Amino acid sequence: MQFLDLLMLGFSEAFTPTNLLFCFIGALLGTLIGVLPGIGPTATVAILLPITFFLPPLAALIMLSGIFYGAQYGGSTTAILVNLPGEASAVVTAIDGYQMARKGRAGAALAVAALGSFFAGTVATIALAVAGPTLSSFALSFGPAEYVALCIFGLLAATILAHGSVIKAIGMVCLGLLLGMVGIDVNSGSTRLTFGSTELYDGIEFVVIAVGLFGVAEIAVNLESKEQRGILQSTIGRLWPTKQEFKESWAAVLRGTGVGTILGVLPGGGATLSAFSAYSVEKKISRTPEKFGHGAIAGVAGPEAANNAGAQSSFIPLLTLGIPSNSIMAMMLGAMTIHGITPGPGVIQNQPELFWGLVASMWLGNAMLLVINLPLIGLWVRLLKVPYRLMYPAILMFCCIGVYSVSNRGFDVALVILFGVLGYVLRKAKCEPGPLLLGFVLGPLLETNLRRALLLSQGDPLVFVERPISGILLAVTAVMLLMLVLPSIRKSRKVAFEESEN
Amino acid sequence: MRAAGATGKRDRPDILAGGLMVGIGALGLWAGRSLAFGTPAMMGPGFLPGVMCGLLILIGGFVLLKGIAKPAEGLGLLNMKPLAILVVAIAGFAFASETLGFVVATVWLLVIGSLADQESRWKEIAISTALLTVAGALVFIEGLGVQMPIWPF
Repeated sequence: MQFLDLLMLGFSEAFTPTNLLFCFIGALLGTLIGVLPGIGPTATVAILLPITFFLPPLAALIMLSGIFYGAQYGGSTTAILVNLPGEASAVVTAIDGYQMARKGRAGAALAVAALGSFFAGTVATIALAVAGPTLSSFALSFGPAEYVALCIFGLLAATILAHGSVIKAIGMVCLGLLLGMVGIDVNSGSTRLTFGSTELYDGIEFVVIAVGLFGVAEIAVNLESKEQRGILQSTIGRLWPTKQEFKESWAAVLRGTGVGTILGVLPGGGATLSAFSAYSVEKKISRTPEKFGHGAIAGVAGPEAANNAGAQSSFIPLLTLGIPSNSIMAMMLGAMTIHGITPGPGVIQNQPELFWGLVASMWLGNAMLLVINLPLIGLWVRLLKVPYRLMYPAILMFCCIGVYSVSNRGFDVALVILFGVLGYVLRKAKCEPGPLLLGFVLGPLLETNLRRALLLSQGDPLVFVERPISGILLAVTAVMLLMLVLPSIRKSRKVAFEESEN
Repeated sequence: MRAAGATGKRDRPDILAGGLMVGIGALGLWAGRSLAFGTPAMMGPGFLPGVMCGLLILIGGFVLLKGIAKPAEGLGLLNMKPLAILVVAIAGFAFASETLGFVVATVWLLVIGSLADQESRWKEIAISTALLTVAGALVFIEGLGVQMPIWPF
């Protein structure tokens, strides 16, 4: 059994003291920032990205992914107890979770959320272990044309499934691609778009863009208005769900896991989309839909399972194809690049300890999170009373030193200002910064392969349609874009997102 | 502070987004004006930047024109004071880090940065700045070995 051997390899990697420690740190940090409103996993991963440079590659990846799925656990705590989602993906959990808390069933809601998340995390980890090798061996045969098609598919699909206007998101992708071209062109050696600055010859650091768009801009937006404070339901009640509650939630957990695992793989998918979809599935399937919004436990179990499954399975496209599906995965790609790893199908073949170690650590991390979250819930509740004005200076310091440490120069920190302001303006203009980041990280891959493919075909663009895999990918992309033009689908997409916003 | 003009037409977020894209696209075209364009088979360094800038201008122009015709929508809450303060704080850090060292840069960053929140109090700022500066110097400079002088001398 080769599969078992590889899994054993993974666990032996994950169980080394260093990796175990960073798995725990990641899970703990994830819970912390998940609980605290005002800072999310995207910003945290961006801020900690430069620091991972000082860690061994596997430990760095283990910690960063721990932050992502740990935040899914932590986010539910705030949603249930304070009615403020600590995390975007916990918005729907707040609807029924808070109502349960008001009825004195906060304990049960928290337990169902944590247990459901653990189950979903386990299933999604297995999905990753099974799908990873299959998909990556398939992708090993990809030539330049296939990669171009895959990039275009990934980038455009991400804009369609993301929040808000598609056309603006496509504009953001173009902007990201353009920013990725700054610096010396590898083919000709000429400098591009550097505005005469020698500091820009190596291009713009990924960390600078990530910290500016997601760290600094977020602080500026958070500080615009007075801190929102929910009313804390401090009585948690008995943690263990009753038999009736258990009966009502197990099927929802199963469905949520399925929805999350599938949606997490799609470009633009991930935790948030999964949670919203699972909630609407539960509401539609339920025999008592009128209970939703008044403390239906299925409305907590389904989305919570889904957001964790989605968080986990969104690693699949990154680790197998090298295509990130959302901004956090783009940052994971950045972290891999910092360590000289080229994400893609080669990783599983050439560095199996990296892939399998990460997979095994995810399961361990989920188990740790169960312990971190359930018995220690009182500690997290107390943390909720820390005001934002005491938190953000520390975040700011992390941002600045982190960016400085990448190449030990103040220039990068100054550049962060530019992207911080850009991030602020984009938020005001209702443009999602996520697609920009995706465009930026995929830019070099897209350009290299586009040039190579067209060089091989002597400038004939038909090469992208003639090769079957790239042809199919481009056809699917075209169909998706065409469907958006149809008024009925546009309408239902708009309704779906508006529902999720309320 | 509410953005003015919530009546009639003009979707302000869209106008802002469109204007930004057109502006950046034009800036990119100008910055890359001397780069060789080449042909699809032999792309020059200016090929893709040019195409991307063109796309940005097209998309931005479309969003801009549609935004002018769309029903009115304001920019929402607009309070740029915190952003401006953060910019000053980070700029000081960027300037001071290489020459004046970690302590000066970080104290500046934290004290000025803390002013961005109207609820902040001097006593809290003093305590948190002192704690964070010491912790930062120990963790980043001593522990992780980030190459930045600690003191200006």
